[in-house]
Amino acid sequence: MSHNDHNSKATKEPRPPKACGWMAEFENEHDLLHAAEKVRDAGYTKTDAFTPFPVHGIDHALGIKPTILPFIVLCAGLTGLCTALLMQWWMNGVDYKYIISGKPFGITPASIPVSFELTILFSAFTSVLGMLALNGLPKFSNPVFTNPKFDRATDDRFFLYVDSTDKYYNRESVRELLSSVHPSSLDEVLEDASPSELPRGILLGSLLLVLAGLIPAAIVLNMRASFSDLPRWHVFFDMDFQPKKKPQQTTTIFKDGRSMRPQVPGTVSRGQLTNEDPFYLGYDPMKVSSVDGPRQIYVSATDTVLETLQPPAGGDGGTALNLPWLEKLPVEANEANIKLGKTKYETYCSACHGYAGFGDGLVAKRAASLAQDTWTTPTSLHADRVQKQPVGQIFHTISKGQGKMASYASSLTPQERWSIVLYVRALQRSRNAKIEDVPVEQRSGLTDAQAPKTDGQ
Amino acid sequence: MTSKYDLETIELPAKWKASTLFTLGLILVFIGAVLGIFMKGQGSGESAEFKHLIHSYLANFMFIMTIALGALFFILIQFVSRAGWSTSIRRIAELLMWTIPFLAVLFVPILVAVWSGRSVPYEWNAPEQVHSSVVKAKIDIGYLTKEWFTIRSVLYFGLWTAMAWFFYGHSRKQDESGDVEHSLARQKWAGPCIMIFALSVSFAAFDWVMSIDADWYSTIFGVYVFAAGMMAFFATMILISMALQNAGKVRAFISVEHFHDMGKFMFGFIMFWSYIAFSQLLLYWYGNIPEETYWFAVRLKDGWQYLAYALIPLHFAIPFLGTISRHVRRHRLGLTFWAAWAIVVHWLDMTFLVMPNAGPANFIALVGHFIGGAGMFAIFLSLFLVRAAKAPLVPMKDPRLPEALTYANPLL
Ligand code: HEC
Repeated sequence: MSHNDHNSKATKEPRPPKACGWMAEFENEHDLLHAAEKVRDAGYTKTDAFTPFPVHGIDHALGIKPTILPFIVLCAGLTGLCTALLMQWWMNGVDYKYIISGKPFGITPASIPVSFELTILFSAFTSVLGMLALNGLPKFSNPVFTNPKFDRATDDRFFLYVDSTDKYYNRESVRELLSSVHPSSLDEVLEDASPSELPRGILLGSLLLVLAGLIPAAIVLNMRASFSDLPRWHVFFDMDFQPKKKPQQTTTIFKDGRSMRPQVPGTVSRGQLTNEDPFYLGYDPMKVSSVDGPRQIYVSATDTVLETLQPPAGGDGGTALNLPWLEKLPVEANEANIKLGKTKYETYCSACHGYAGFGDGLVAKRAASLAQDTWTTPTSLHADRVQKQPVGQIFHTISKGQGKMASYASSLTPQERWSIVLYVRALQRSRNAKIEDVPVEQRSGLTDAQAPKTDGQ
Repeated sequence: MTSKYDLETIELPAKWKASTLFTLGLILVFIGAVLGIFMKGQGSGESAEFKHLIHSYLANFMFIMTIALGALFFILIQFVSRAGWSTSIRRIAELLMWTIPFLAVLFVPILVAVWSGRSVPYEWNAPEQVHSSVVKAKIDIGYLTKEWFTIRSVLYFGLWTAMAWFFYGHSRKQDESGDVEHSLARQKWAGPCIMIFALSVSFAAFDWVMSIDADWYSTIFGVYVFAAGMMAFFATMILISMALQNAGKVRAFISVEHFHDMGKFMFGFIMFWSYIAFSQLLLYWYGNIPEETYWFAVRLKDGWQYLAYALIPLHFAIPFLGTISRHVRRHRLGLTFWAAWAIVVHWLDMTFLVMPNAGPANFIALVGHFIGGAGMFAIFLSLFLVRAAKAPLVPMKDPRLPEALTYANPLL
């Protein structure tokens, strides 16, 4: 026994490399195609061709069946689509209903881009990974590389390979078949004798890299789980602390210590001129002193100051602002203005106040049905108080807002606001019309008994 | 071997008569118009019948016009990309493109309607009836006036005819001399022409179709019309090539590979149309501003909603799934079926763009509209035949022809 052992150790020579198949080399793609067809017709299926450029028809010549990859990708794409739809339906329709500009919950047209992206994402990953998997890649070595002639496959030679695992493989008959198509060389492909294990260095190196990659994550976890008294760490110090002043800060540059500068006496800023024009205000600033002396000083400065004034205690909300309102519309009551007012009213006001002004717009109805106490019912424009208000005050309500109602100055020009006031007046009058308001020709037939009916229409 | 590329196979089949097809088209258009007149119209101002007829004509005109423009664009793309594969099918596209001067004549009825002061199909043409300040502004700066509208329309046709003439002319001259210079000249100008094409088609779409509803605007509208036209163009190409081969022509020149590629293009533009149509919809849906959404609102009531919703499966989902497989695109019958499908849905699409502005959907009038559309398509094909009677169906001396004849798609 010992003798035998000794013997085998001493004579351990590298065993002869195993043969893996035959590799034929051709000068051009026509010869290759011709050879491939012959090999295919002989029934071999474990074959492959290597060419410096894509050769049309090679798949057919080799008898390669169309890949099933497209179907796998189709399934992945559909999975992505369903995932996206399910996710959005769950998130926005069930789990966390979030109102985004009044859009419906769940799946909406806005879900399509995300669904599209996920479909593409799933498909793209599947086609790359599926392609690798179907090709048995990545592979760190391939026996075909053992032949130095094979290097020219990326340059100017065409190769046809028949693998020994083919079920009809027979060393001699394959050699005969291939030499019958006159290759410029025919070699047996030998097993790759180089060691197949990963070199130690690479293994260690990648292990270290993985560990190093965990460090940032560990630091983040540690910081989240611990407390610290140290001040915040500023990565970009000069961005966090810029040499500039913000409103309401103090400064040493100016004597009064204010960083916000008051208007220089005798100058007019852009847009300020309109502050003296009743057309833009709804009241006459020159007459404020006659109504409310102390207010005069503020009003002559800027209109915005008015907003900061508290209404006198005890007054009722609507008429508290005691100002010299314009009583007469500064725009003409013609058809164009009425039309403009109607369009703008229906665009901007009807949602809350309703088309007829009763405060029963869609938003108001929906808010009422939700019954949340944060909602203030829009005032009916036919309420006594609003009826009695001078036109200037309604203009002011639109321009500056009133109570819970916001300002519409940014969406409507003064001209449009006045037209709305005109239209509101028309609405009010239409609800409280007297027989004298009806043209004489149309009065007949409008008896007192019918009046309430026509009112309600 | 000589018989394979026989010169006889690159002529139109003797039985294909332009005059017969043209007469048939005229008869169909006439029947369609009569049905349109017999609809029970409601509406004020312009008579509802006339309103329907002129809208119907415009929709059917756009239906064929976009196909011819698709042909022009296809030619431009072939030269900008120096494509070889398409050489053997290119002449058919060239002939389709060369119908543009004829189509200019078919546009005349629209101009007549505008110059006779009608407020249909273009409401802006009667400024006193316009209430919208947006439209008024467009009239006031002089953009939407009959003079400028006419000048622009003439300009579009002028540019397209000039481009078509240049590309067709060089192609025909090459038929004689085989000189490669003709290819080089076209390659040189294809790039600039594409820019002119993009702008002119976009503006033509704005002027002719979008301005029906001049209040509304969509900057992507031109692309939408373009995408629709490209899809229909490839469908038309497929049908014509199939028909020619069935009549025994160009069999050696157009292979399954070419059909496969035209099918791919058609598939691609089905997708592109959907992408553009949806992009347009999504922004308006999200913004939800009355003056922007009403264009869709008009198309989602009075019976038009069935058409609008039907376009989603008919113009996108079904043909998308139908043509996604290469096996279908390489199958003669399969491809023919989907090409015919694409042409019909393109007609539906143009109807969707134009007809809702003519009032509520009316069944009889729509049947008339459809027959008229079939008639216009027949007229369009007869114009193609007029052109094709004078030229071989394959550019035999094009230096890139051999490339097209040996062309093959890689097997996936
Ligand atoms: C978002 C809903 C909403 C819209 C839109 C809206 N309003 Fe109001 N409006 C209200 C509410 C709420 C009130 C009651 C405010 C309060 O008393 O706190 C109100 C009150 C009023 C009043 C009575 C003010 C007073 O003196 O009591 C007038 C007048 C008025 N709105 C006019 C308009 C006009 C004109 C428009 C269109 C430009 C408009 N509103 C748009 C919600 C709205």
